[in-house]
Amino acid sequence: MLKINNIKIVVNTNNGLFGAFHTFKSGLNIVRGDNTSGKSSLFQAIVYALGFEELIGGRFEKTMQSVLKDQVEYPKDSFHSVLQSFVLLEIENTNGDLITIRRFVQNPNRKSQLIDVYSGSLLANNSLESRPMFIHDNGGASDENYGFHLYLEEFLNWNLPKVLTNNGELRKIYIQQIASSFIIEQKSGWSDFFATMPIYGLNNKEARIVEFILDMDVYGNKMKKQELGISKRILENDWSNLSKRFERFSEKGGGKLAGLSQTPMIINNLEEINILLSKDETDHSISNYLDLIIVEFDTLAKVETVSVKDKIGDNEILIVKNEEKLNQISFDVEMISSELTFDKQKLSNFNYQLENLNEDLRKNKGAFKVQKMGAEIDLKVSGNNCPSCNQEINDSLLPLSVKQVPMRLDDNIDFLSAQIKMLQVNLESLESKIVSKDKKLKNLRGSQNNLRSQIRELKTELISDDRLPSIVDIEYILNLKKKIEFYSKYLEDFVELKDELSALSNKWKRILEDQEKLKKDTFSTNDISKLKLLSDNFKSLLSKFNYSSKTINDITISEENYLPLAKKPNDNLVYNIRFDSSASDFIRSIWAYTCSLYKTSIAKNGNHPNLLMFDEPKQQDLSINDFTNFLKELSTYTTAQTLLFASFENSDETFSKATTGIDFHLNYIDEKLIKPVV
Amino acid sequence: MELYAEKITFKKKPISIPPEYRPSYTIGLIVLILKICCQSSKSSLLKLHLINWALKSTENKNSLKHFVLSNYTESSKTWGIEPSLNRALNYSVHEGICSISNGKYQLQEKGEIFYSKILENPEYLNEEIDFLNFLGKRKITDNRIDSIYKK
Repeated sequence: MLKINNIKIVVNTNNGLFGAFHTFKSGLNIVRGDNTSGKSSLFQAIVYALGFEELIGGRFEKTMQSVLKDQVEYPKDSFHSVLQSFVLLEIENTNGDLITIRRFVQNPNRKSQLIDVYSGSLLANNSLESRPMFIHDNGGASDENYGFHLYLEEFLNWNLPKVLTNNGELRKIYIQQIASSFIIEQKSGWSDFFATMPIYGLNNKEARIVEFILDMDVYGNKMKKQELGISKRILENDWSNLSKRFERFSEKGGGKLAGLSQTPMIINNLEEINILLSKDETDHSISNYLDLIIVEFDTLAKVETVSVKDKIGDNEILIVKNEEKLNQISFDVEMISSELTFDKQKLSNFNYQLENLNEDLRKNKGAFKVQKMGAEIDLKVSGNNCPSCNQEINDSLLPLSVKQVPMRLDDNIDFLSAQIKMLQVNLESLESKIVSKDKKLKNLRGSQNNLRSQIRELKTELISDDRLPSIVDIEYILNLKKKIEFYSKYLEDFVELKDELSALSNKWKRILEDQEKLKKDTFSTNDISKLKLLSDNFKSLLSKFNYSSKTINDITISEENYLPLAKKPNDNLVYNIRFDSSASDFIRSIWAYTCSLYKTSIAKNGNHPNLLMFDEPKQQDLSINDFTNFLKELSTYTTAQTLLFASFENSDETFSKATTGIDFHLNYIDEKLIKPVV
Repeated sequence: MELYAEKITFKKKPISIPPEYRPSYTIGLIVLILKICCQSSKSSLLKLHLINWALKSTENKNSLKHFVLSNYTESSKTWGIEPSLNRALNYSVHEGICSISNGKYQLQEKGEIFYSKILENPEYLNEEIDFLNFLGKRKITDNRIDSIYKK
């Protein structure tokens, strides 16, 4: 449970002290204030103190309204500059433990990623000691001493699950992602379910949040899925290694590999995979090729040898042809080898740069560590303040006259890592370019040598005794014989290689089968009943709020991401409820969904913090009647705390009409939120 | 040329700077140098500059190493003095990390604490620490530096 007891905002201006103080009770709290009174500022200040300002769209103090960071307007048209401001928020958990959170919005000497946590109510006891904690910094969600969100997680007795991110790492869900399920912000919160959730590379994030809120068993199966994902990746790796071996093997035999994909697949017919060897400009499989050359050898061996005299004419033509070819090839060799030298030079430059960057990165990481340690022993410079005059220094030792702002250390580390990544990509592509050019060069040189020796032989033949049998022919037959021996062995090796492939293919098949099976029985009986309840709650609330765009019966909850789906009548097609709802009906469905998450969690002992916050839920000219129904529903949530911020169309009449017969605690913002403190 | 934008604004972006220009990092290095390389954790300004210069790059480190291993005969490379180290020293004096006595920098208790903190978990600083340990307390003394300086 997360209960907000009170909030105090303190603003020092050049014209004295300003501020605001509000207390909240269990059950429904209505914060009423006219437009521009600062209602949303109060909402945002609560969110900010909890470190959830990403829900408002951004990080740190820039997300706050100008009344907390630039100037206070009070009374109208009279302005006072803000010198310093902070928010004090007192919260309570299920055990009744109290903590008070202090976070500065405007303070030239403090970074806004620092949060002070007092263990107790600062209101009751102002001599409490505080503990500084960090937020949004690397390690802000995990570092044991400093991470405020880790602390908050423990305070709420939450055990946030680890989830698989888009780049395959296992990482905890962030607490501010969960917050988007119970805090609905005014500007974009009403545009979609979980609209304000920060992404952080999380796969299917809505589903992970709902699974956590409802404490679903599906998580265990998810782990199995993840394990499966890992063995899948291992297999993919093995497969790609094997396919590389196939490549090399086909190169060795001078053929082309056919039928093998780079990525795993089930191979039903191993015969499809073959190495194509070309003879007389057509391709043949290894065994066919072998047959062909055996036949050729046999016929040639039978034919009587032709003597040199009969071949002189042919040979001369052949020599001219071969010499032309040789010239072309020599030219190509020249070109490619100079390109290659250039590329290799570039490669060594890149490698040098990479080395320097890596060294720089290491040092920066060291600096980051040292800075943290400095903060532990209260070095002022670690907090970017001068130790003798307390002025802000911008974390650099450059002379003050250099008006450059250095990056923050962690940004600097990210910056260098990004550069290294970029360089590595370049290096890889350059390396593969070099490899392929090397290969090409080698091939060219090989054919160059071949041509030369052919020409040489032809020439020797021309000057040899013209009654002798042709050396060229004899050599050809000998070569053929060698080829037959080579390819017989080659075929045997190929069969062995294929056996390995078939083993991998079978493994792959099993993984796919397991995956299919997991897909089927992901949900436990408990989960099914939770989802059923979620869907029932959702539907009953929809009709309570007079949702009318679709028949309620055509609405279901998706088993993929647990978001509402609408079904086409007389059809099995389903799609996001948003597409077929009028604007006001979509607001109703966000009301209903947010409430049903809470209701389901309460009924099924889930992890909902039992806190609901809505900023201006009466959007899109919803009728007062439906709004009253919504308030009525919220007022029945006595085990929860609801903070509802609304303007009631700036009218007393609307307010009294909407709240007739409803139990609630009123916080009325008279005129302006931030007023002089007397 | 026709301009399509009515107004162009330029915004200064934070720049990447070498870690040697980070105050806390350099203070950390000062602590390491004083503790590992100086007798009774006390050093002259010049010595701090020399070792700090050496830590800047592998090349510099090798040069100083070479000088030591050649029995102090081969100091081929000229070395430099970095104003940022002076600023960092000023900071450390005001932080109470070290103090100045008789023109020398003396490590204080707070500096000792900082040193032990760093050594708890040195991971990214191991390379620097190894080098400093190589130098030890005796290899580079003020007399030695004076002799190079006068040459």
